[in-house]
Amino acid sequence: MTIVGLGPHGERASPPERVTLLPQDKTAARAKKLRVAIVMHTLESDWAKHVVQGIIGTLGECGAIVIDVVDCNFSSEAQIDALGRLQGENPDAIISLPVNNTTVTKAHLAISGAGIKLVLIDNVPTGMLPGKDYVSLVSADNFGLGKIAAELLSARLPLGASAGMLAYDADFFATNEREIAFSRWMEVNRPDVAVKTARFSTIDGAGHEAVQLINDHSEIAGLFVVWDSPCIDVVRAVSKRNPDMPITTVDLGQEVTESLAKGGPVIGIAGQRPFQQGEAVARTTITTLLDRPCPDWVALPGLIVSRSNVIESYQAIWRKPAPRDILIRLDLLQSK
Amino acid sequence: MIIQENQNFVPIDKSVPNRQRGKGRPRNSEAATASLVAVLNHVRLSEATTRQELERVSEYGRAIIADRLAILSELGLLNERETGVATGGRAPRLVQFTKDHALLVVVTLDQSAIGVGLADLDGKLLMEHHEAINIADQTLTADRICALINWLMTRQPKTPNLWGISISVPGPVLTDPNIPFLLETPNFLPNWDNSGLVETLMQRFKAPVWMHSNVETMTMGELHGGAGIGQQTMLFVKVGQRIGAGLVSNGQPYHGAAGAVGLIGQLPVTSGNATGSLDAMAGASMIKAQGIKAAQSGESAYLAEWLERGADITAIEVCQAAQMGDPVSTEIVVQSGRLIGGVVAILANMLNPQLIVFAGSIAQTNDILLASVREAVYGASHPLVTRDLRILRSQMGNSAALLGAACIAVSALFDPVFLKDWILLGSPTQHPDFVYGLETLNSITQQSDDGPQAPPSS
Repeated sequence: MTIVGLGPHGERASPPERVTLLPQDKTAARAKKLRVAIVMHTLESDWAKHVVQGIIGTLGECGAIVIDVVDCNFSSEAQIDALGRLQGENPDAIISLPVNNTTVTKAHLAISGAGIKLVLIDNVPTGMLPGKDYVSLVSADNFGLGKIAAELLSARLPLGASAGMLAYDADFFATNEREIAFSRWMEVNRPDVAVKTARFSTIDGAGHEAVQLINDHSEIAGLFVVWDSPCIDVVRAVSKRNPDMPITTVDLGQEVTESLAKGGPVIGIAGQRPFQQGEAVARTTITTLLDRPCPDWVALPGLIVSRSNVIESYQAIWRKPAPRDILIRLDLLQSK
Repeated sequence: MIIQENQNFVPIDKSVPNRQRGKGRPRNSEAATASLVAVLNHVRLSEATTRQELERVSEYGRAIIADRLAILSELGLLNERETGVATGGRAPRLVQFTKDHALLVVVTLDQSAIGVGLADLDGKLLMEHHEAINIADQTLTADRICALINWLMTRQPKTPNLWGISISVPGPVLTDPNIPFLLETPNFLPNWDNSGLVETLMQRFKAPVWMHSNVETMTMGELHGGAGIGQQTMLFVKVGQRIGAGLVSNGQPYHGAAGAVGLIGQLPVTSGNATGSLDAMAGASMIKAQGIKAAQSGESAYLAEWLERGADITAIEVCQAAQMGDPVSTEIVVQSGRLIGGVVAILANMLNPQLIVFAGSIAQTNDILLASVREAVYGASHPLVTRDLRILRSQMGNSAALLGAACIAVSALFDPVFLKDWILLGSPTQHPDFVYGLETLNSITQQSDDGPQAPPSS
């Protein structure tokens, strides 16, 4: 699949192959005895765990030591504290997923200002520039993910229905792109469908917002939730009253995969490739630490995941066999 | 004359406090807009941050400063919420510009992408979004711009006070420099003069609209937020389908006689036996055409594989292939860089800039073009010109256009000549000329919507 979105500054995407490491690069990196810290928005989600695995594994191959992996729990304060503390440790590079676009800008600028290489995942605080304030942004094609989710949901929406969208109430590049792309796809391809939007500010508030949205708009015939963790909350809250409400989301987390495999309410997922994204993040980090130029924006295309290809997608993303109960649900395994 | 007549019919905004103080002598504020304008701009431009400094910088007395600050605070334009550092006595109250009192919408149109953003009254970008679109479809593009502006508005915690829309477009914009804002869409691209973009935005968002060329806005953006910060002499070159240049002289952008600066893409250049304009010989269209040819003939294995997979080959793919080491693509980009470098060398010898910044999708996708340009410029320039010359790639992408558009809007809003006509009304959207312009536009739209009367049925 090609990349359909543009970067945070309108950049064209570079494929992850633009940052490759040859054996001699890994040897050179090992000789430098590099130290790298990772600051994530959360470590709870399956997506975040896979990204971190991809980063740590690739850095390990290059002899780079990961000195800390921080879980900010979506908190600006926690991220500012972590970045301040890690700056004192003077690592060669910090890999960070900024939790929003405004409150953590200064803390990130301080990192690059201190001469520490800063590689960003999924989000760029407003005003920060590639090559100057950070090395590169590495993300999925989030605009493409939003379009995939819209297309998957569209197949289940009757003529003239409304689609409900549960969007994230934070200015965040990745979720903004998904939200805009979902609406645009519907506008262009399903002009008969009206998109009704509600926003959640915490993951466990998403279900409540979804119920409220459906109460306000009884014509809603399907939902899109901008990523899988809040989607789980939405599934729990909505399924009690609307068990047949089709839902699409982004990220092939364990619970939404199970829902997809059993036939609903999750009927389609726009899958990211977090492990490969993590590898691309690590390769970008090593490339810049070897003083070689890096692209402004490295983007990975999404995967269209439906019930028919959920097993192979699961294997590609999770890099392990699908759980037995999922295989049994899909009649791919008989013994219980 | 028309405007004077209309001024009698400017609707009174009930939200603006009535500043008439009974009969007789008008309060100082009505007679002293000039000092209000001066005080606001001293604070806004950080020339003064306390009352004492304001007295010194403006040369107004304490009572006048106190009166003007009271009015400007009442209008929401200034505040004294914070205190400064004490220097022997009580800590002074800091006088600050309330930059979040209203917002500006900024828009950029490129041949294959649009961007929209929100900026504060300091011209700082707060939010932005970019997406690919073919702007040849005017209706689709205009609808998309409106949809994205609406989306930006919904992301604000409360309904924003919108004070202006500043647009960056891919072509020179010829307007009267004496008019404070646009009332109709100027010529900026073939077929876009009848698009009604300015009128649509004015009517839908009820705010003044400005429009400038991408080269002008990006030069301004680079000057205020990119490599150009603090530079006195800078040449900015945008390489895309068209190739244009902007100039900063004495720290200020140069506008030229008619605002048509830097149309270097029109200059004739020669490569081998072929002669044509720089746009045609070195721009994105040439790179794309050469790339497709190399892919179809199989000369470039890399591009041929792209084509085989059903992907479109544009100049971006050719530049990325060059960056990945494809020799055919590299030669195409190098050739483009040499031609551009030859023209830029002439400009460099003439203008002696401190800095040359290259931007646009072609320059930003790879480093090969820049290397080729550098070689040509250094090879063809006087040693004195290149002694301290830096040639860089912009790091701002299309954000430069949005930031520049915001800076241009801020300059226009707070230009003393324009500002004095709206400052006491509290908002540029209450400016008599804007109110009249909007009313006229609405009445024209109403008439055209009503259309001719249907003939009576027989």
